[in-house]
Amino acid sequence: MTKNYETEAPGYTMTTVMEEAARCLLCHDAPCSQMCPAHTDPGKFIRSVRFRNLKGAAETVRENNAMGAICARVCPTEKYCELACSRTGIDKPIDIGGIQRFVTDFEQQSEMDILKKGEANGKSIAIVGSGPAGLQTATTMLERGYAVDIYEKSEKAGGYLTYGIPEYRLPADIVDYEIKRIINLGAKIHYNVTIGKDMMMDELKANNDAVIVAVGASEAKVLPMFEGNQYVESAVDFLARVKEANGNIKDLPTSAIVIGGGDVAMDVATTLKRLNVEHVTDVTYEQFDEFRASKKELEGTQRVGVTIVDGYVPDSIEGNAVTFKARNMDSKLTIKAEKVILAIGQQVNADNLGINIEHGVVPYAGYKTDDPKVFVTGDIAQGDQTVVWAVRKGKEVADLIDSELMGVQNND
Amino acid sequence: MIKKDLSVDFLGVHFENPFLLSSSPVDNCYEMCAKAFDEGWGGVVFKTIGPKHFVVDEVSPRFDELTKEGTPFVGFKNMEQIAEHSLEENLHDLKQLKENYPNKIVIASIMGTNEQDWEELAQLVTEAKADMIEMNLSCPQMTSHEMGSDVGTNPELVKKYCAAVKRGSDLPMMAKMTPNITDMIPAAKASLAGGAEGIATINTVKSISNIDLDKRVALPIVNGKSSISGFSGKAVKPIALRFIQQLRVAAGLEQLPISGIGGIETWQDAAEFILLGATTLQVTTSVMQYGYRIVEDMKNGLMHYMEDQGVDHLSELIGSANKNIVPAEDLDRDYKVYPKIDWDKCIGCGRCYVSCFDGAHQAITWDPKTRRPSVDTSKCVGCHLCNLVCPVGAITTGEKVMKPGRKGNAEDKQVESVRLTHF
Repeated sequence: MTKNYETEAPGYTMTTVMEEAARCLLCHDAPCSQMCPAHTDPGKFIRSVRFRNLKGAAETVRENNAMGAICARVCPTEKYCELACSRTGIDKPIDIGGIQRFVTDFEQQSEMDILKKGEANGKSIAIVGSGPAGLQTATTMLERGYAVDIYEKSEKAGGYLTYGIPEYRLPADIVDYEIKRIINLGAKIHYNVTIGKDMMMDELKANNDAVIVAVGASEAKVLPMFEGNQYVESAVDFLARVKEANGNIKDLPTSAIVIGGGDVAMDVATTLKRLNVEHVTDVTYEQFDEFRASKKELEGTQRVGVTIVDGYVPDSIEGNAVTFKARNMDSKLTIKAEKVILAIGQQVNADNLGINIEHGVVPYAGYKTDDPKVFVTGDIAQGDQTVVWAVRKGKEVADLIDSELMGVQNND
Repeated sequence: MIKKDLSVDFLGVHFENPFLLSSSPVDNCYEMCAKAFDEGWGGVVFKTIGPKHFVVDEVSPRFDELTKEGTPFVGFKNMEQIAEHSLEENLHDLKQLKENYPNKIVIASIMGTNEQDWEELAQLVTEAKADMIEMNLSCPQMTSHEMGSDVGTNPELVKKYCAAVKRGSDLPMMAKMTPNITDMIPAAKASLAGGAEGIATINTVKSISNIDLDKRVALPIVNGKSSISGFSGKAVKPIALRFIQQLRVAAGLEQLPISGIGGIETWQDAAEFILLGATTLQVTTSVMQYGYRIVEDMKNGLMHYMEDQGVDHLSELIGSANKNIVPAEDLDRDYKVYPKIDWDKCIGCGRCYVSCFDGAHQAITWDPKTRRPSVDTSKCVGCHLCNLVCPVGAITTGEKVMKPGRKGNAEDKQVESVRLTHF
């Protein structure tokens, strides 16, 4: 019954990936390669595929991005590399994400060991949070020779990759393998440790040359009207519950309302349908012309038969009947369902970390904090909040710390 | 990124890697060669330099391509002759390249019309500090019959001109052979007898690629007419490999140093040339199509291949496949292997059925209701055409059987995949 939830769409075969790579125009000064927030170079790795150098393609992806197999699956490529693709001048962009998935799958099947640990420089780093930003930071620091300890409040690493994105879109095996690579590189992950509660920042600072806070926005936002309502669950809790049980959850409703218009809302609505919930209606604040979710996600949601009502905001709830008000019309709509799932955004829990968070991010650009030993990265640093941005921020904070620490050393 | 030593020694010259631009439009001046060096090529065979009295006068347009379905440049037709820059400019460029890129190898390709030309050109390029000479005895589109492939098919002329070059220079020298000949061995041996130390092959294959059906003129059309000229690219690779293999197994030529040319585009192509006996590799057509940058994947892929094969130096691979290429009469003809169809992979297109019926032995039966093919072993000869045409790889090699009355155990026969599988 959960097959629909567990099964990822099939990837390319050797034959079909060549057909797709053959569509690539191998542009001069490839526009796709200038568009990736994480500086992935599709122009180069697709060329390698085209010339049957799959191992070289894997090197190009992996050396740049510790989350290469994950980004291949979840990146909203239509906003980045594929948006720039010259092939659009003929028909449609190259499926860059799909080719990257083939390359990273090949890397895994061939058990390639591309990442190399740097020569130990005697310095150590603590990272709070093992989401994509924390993992990328760890990778870059390990490659530069730092000792890296990661503190994770949950029992598994990966943050939203592990507890959020549904299995059909991002299989747990893929996430686990990416994490295993980083552990093999030398990262020590301490599970079930909440910094600020089980262990204090002062201890981390005393024992490390730098502390990087990459806690992300892991807690659900709730509107006051929904608080304490027995029919209401947050998207964060629901997705984590489904993912942990691999789709085998007991209390599935026959009808559900999902409130929200981002990728998380699409994930929830699609997951419900894939788990055979018959009636799923998603109500979004945004109208279609201002939609936040990626096109791929929206299409996937529509394909499985989710009803989407756009341009409505929740007004009140009575029992399990939610009344919405149109944003741009004088109109109200009441929908009753067995379950209401809120996907209206997440918030940061940075209790006792000594970091000032306003509206989910630090109130300044960059990665430094008031404490010279403490840095931020990931969703709480300013910038976009996608996996590909997490990778970028992870690399940038690692660069910054490396230059600061090695600079200090050079002045000795 | 993987790092392996790709260096080779060829005619006493050390190359940082075996990838060279062949003498052609791709290395026609200093700027081109410099860019190629910067992008990682190990050397260049600078576009053929001719004698002062031979005036190069080119046509426009001058190229054509052979396509198949959606694939461009399956093969490439070229009417361009030798370098159109002046002798002085070419010699100046050679010298400057060597000065600015002392670790890269600059090979001067030369072509004369008589012994005196060859000797003088050899002397001039030696003075320009070239590392090596390649004698172009093989260009099929020269406007003089005293030059090019007409010369290369005549062993006596080949020997005489090689000797002339040797009189003009003590640089290591290779003679570039034409494939427009049934047997390359006599011309190759004549080159060696004349003083050549190695062979470069193949030059382009004489061709007519396409005909404009309305105008009834071959392409490219030059003011209403066209000519036979040289064909290159992926389509000629099998021809090149065959010539190289035959040279390396000919009596007395077993250690012949060869610079392999013909359709090299990927590291796999490169490895194939090496396994049949090439030490250096020359490339043009794929550079014309894609640019110098293709060398990145050829080098990187070759390093991974070396790693997979457990070798530290390319010399360990050179010619090592030749022992497995035997005369047709020496092949094991005692068994056959049937195809095996994986119905879980089969998508019911019926291409195997069509090809087997129309192109082989009517040994695949077709169930029109289920759209599933099956192998009729009473008719199947084990040719594996079905395997090659299957679009989803659902057909592989299956059961092996001895032919009636033959001795031996079919299970001992080494039957591998019929497709390339190494990546």
